[in-house]
Amino acid sequence: MSAAPAKSESSADALVRVSGLRTRIGSKTIFDGLDLGVPRGSITAIMGPSGTGKTTLLRHLSGQLRPDAGSVVVDGEEVTNLSRAGLFALRERIGYLFQNSALLTDFSVFENVAFPLRQHTNLPETLIRNIVLTKLQAVGLRGAARLMPSELSGGMARRVALARAIVFDPMLILYDEPFVGLDPIALNQVLRLIRTLNKTLGITSILVAHELAAIRQVADRVYLIANGKLVAQGAPDELEHQDSPWTRQFFGGEADGPVPFHYPAPDYASELGFGRGAR
Amino acid sequence: MNANVRRNWFLQGIVSVGDCGLFFVAVLGALPKSLRYWRETCRQVWFVGAMSLVIVMTCGLFVGMVLALQLYYTLSIFGGTAALGTVVALSLFRELGPVITALLVAGRAGTAVTAEIGLMRATDQLDAMSMMAVDPLAYVASPRFLAGVVAMPLLACVFNAMGIFGGHLVGVTWLGLDNGTFWGNMTATVDLRKDILEGLYKSIVFGGVVSLIAVFQGYTAPPTSEGVAYSTTRTVVFSSIVILAFDFVMTTFMT
Amino acid sequence: MNPRPSYAIGTGLFILLGFAALAYLATQTTSVANGIASSSTYTLKARFQNIGQLKARAPVKIAGVRIGDVQSIALEPQRMDALVTLSIDKQYNDIPDDSSAAIFTSGLLGDQYVGIEPGGSPTFLKNGDEMVLTQSAMSIENLIGKFLVNGGPKSSGSDSAPASSAAPASGKP
Repeated sequence: MSAAPAKSESSADALVRVSGLRTRIGSKTIFDGLDLGVPRGSITAIMGPSGTGKTTLLRHLSGQLRPDAGSVVVDGEEVTNLSRAGLFALRERIGYLFQNSALLTDFSVFENVAFPLRQHTNLPETLIRNIVLTKLQAVGLRGAARLMPSELSGGMARRVALARAIVFDPMLILYDEPFVGLDPIALNQVLRLIRTLNKTLGITSILVAHELAAIRQVADRVYLIANGKLVAQGAPDELEHQDSPWTRQFFGGEADGPVPFHYPAPDYASELGFGRGAR
Repeated sequence: MNANVRRNWFLQGIVSVGDCGLFFVAVLGALPKSLRYWRETCRQVWFVGAMSLVIVMTCGLFVGMVLALQLYYTLSIFGGTAALGTVVALSLFRELGPVITALLVAGRAGTAVTAEIGLMRATDQLDAMSMMAVDPLAYVASPRFLAGVVAMPLLACVFNAMGIFGGHLVGVTWLGLDNGTFWGNMTATVDLRKDILEGLYKSIVFGGVVSLIAVFQGYTAPPTSEGVAYSTTRTVVFSSIVILAFDFVMTTFMT
Repeated sequence: MNPRPSYAIGTGLFILLGFAALAYLATQTTSVANGIASSSTYTLKARFQNIGQLKARAPVKIAGVRIGDVQSIALEPQRMDALVTLSIDKQYNDIPDDSSAAIFTSGLLGDQYVGIEPGGSPTFLKNGDEMVLTQSAMSIENLIGKFLVNGGPKSSGSDSAPASSAAPASGKP
């Protein structure tokens, strides 16, 4: 799992390819010429300081947000040019795990997982039941089928959301902060699921996360984004030993570095009323 | 600077009216698709309509009763208490039925719809639907809009019927007006097409307006608790203003 | 398995209730209501030269007590008078057949009703019978008109020109 084969693989058979991505939201520049590729069947982690637009990137990939410039190609289709119908067709092949699970509060766990099936197919009830129970079994929550989302813990809700995301056996799953707010047990459960889904079903996974330890266990490849650009990439172990100020600060956990501790502000002394020459 | 702020406020008002108009077009555009989700529409009719029955019926009864009491007093000055049935029925059918029902529904169902959609937005449920290739306009917005249009006139009918009952209770049972006079004058004057149906048209428009405002406010609510709370308040304020303004305009055209 | 059927039932009931209310309003509070006769009544007919402001469902009274109501009012084309159909409660089935019907006004500006003045005949009116003796509504316009016509000749017996010139003169001071 060294960097070289992954690189050649990504250029040859990339499920997702982003090039020259530029986005501004309001007056803030989120991406300023971002390029990256995700090979088929891999688990790719996207890391970066808070506010660098990692979630925005996932929204670009799923076509929820259109960039100002650049191209996003998913499975050979240019997402930025797709019509609404084309986008919806593509999304049926993409699973998306929201940060807060986004279960439909009106429906039970079973109905939540069955929701995409009911909306897009006319399958008989017994078949729907079988598919839903299979998916719930896969995430270990078949027994919770009758519960309502309000009765679930955060980790359970996320596993239900995962079951819902894989109900159509997608080619790609986008995980938005899948580990946030989970206790170590739930975190390991989710981690195991991500790995199992990738290994057994060959689902390509892109995950946005901060948890270094978790990512080291699961990811084949890590992209580090900062200031709207790709600042480092490679396998997790390799990246940790790379000698760039970004990786040093990020993986070393230093408070100050390329990402400043202080939010941009006028000169401290002058703001407090001491002139530069006062001393 | 003050003038600048005020102009911004004014401009923002115009912008949000325009947004609401565009949203209306989008909701109408999603209507054909939302027919697939007729179960959801049905559920919303239940929620907007059936769940509002208690408040609408109670208020209808009391409005009819107080109307009879007040009008009896006024009419007795002119010795025209025989016209009580007519006046109660006409005020209810033409004006009070549609308007009060719309205000009640805006307060009870409109706020709930705004809060529900606002929270769905805040908890990413709308985005999740969209990611599951289900258009939230067709699944969430249009059924609620349609439910308002369907439920409002039916609720207004129930309100009117209860109002007539209340008026009869006070006028005939309590104040001792002759039963035949009460009904006779009413039936001689009230016209099915001009009075009852025009009231219904008003109700249908009010139903559309109230549910459009409620859905729009929910859809555009900032995804925070203050945002949702503020949008809920705005649903009631805007609905009330628009109901009364539309009422005036429609009455001008109809009579 | 899911809560949908109960919603469907609730919605169905609500829609039915709404339409029932509409049907109630449409049939009971508009003129449609006057076509429906109750089974516990019988009908009598009476012709009037002028019914004044009498309306369907106006009360029918004997000695001030309500015994029924006006079911319908129609114009008899040949005779050019109003045919009023009264529906009378079955318990008052002993109205003598020489009774007379008249249209009265309750109070000065109040509503009009049909009053029946009982006769002395031993036979009673039956369903569908017609009351022969009727008295039309007294209209205030007619009363005033009659008064003017009766009082008129005395003043209009003299020349009409001074009368017309006198009127503005008397109006001046």
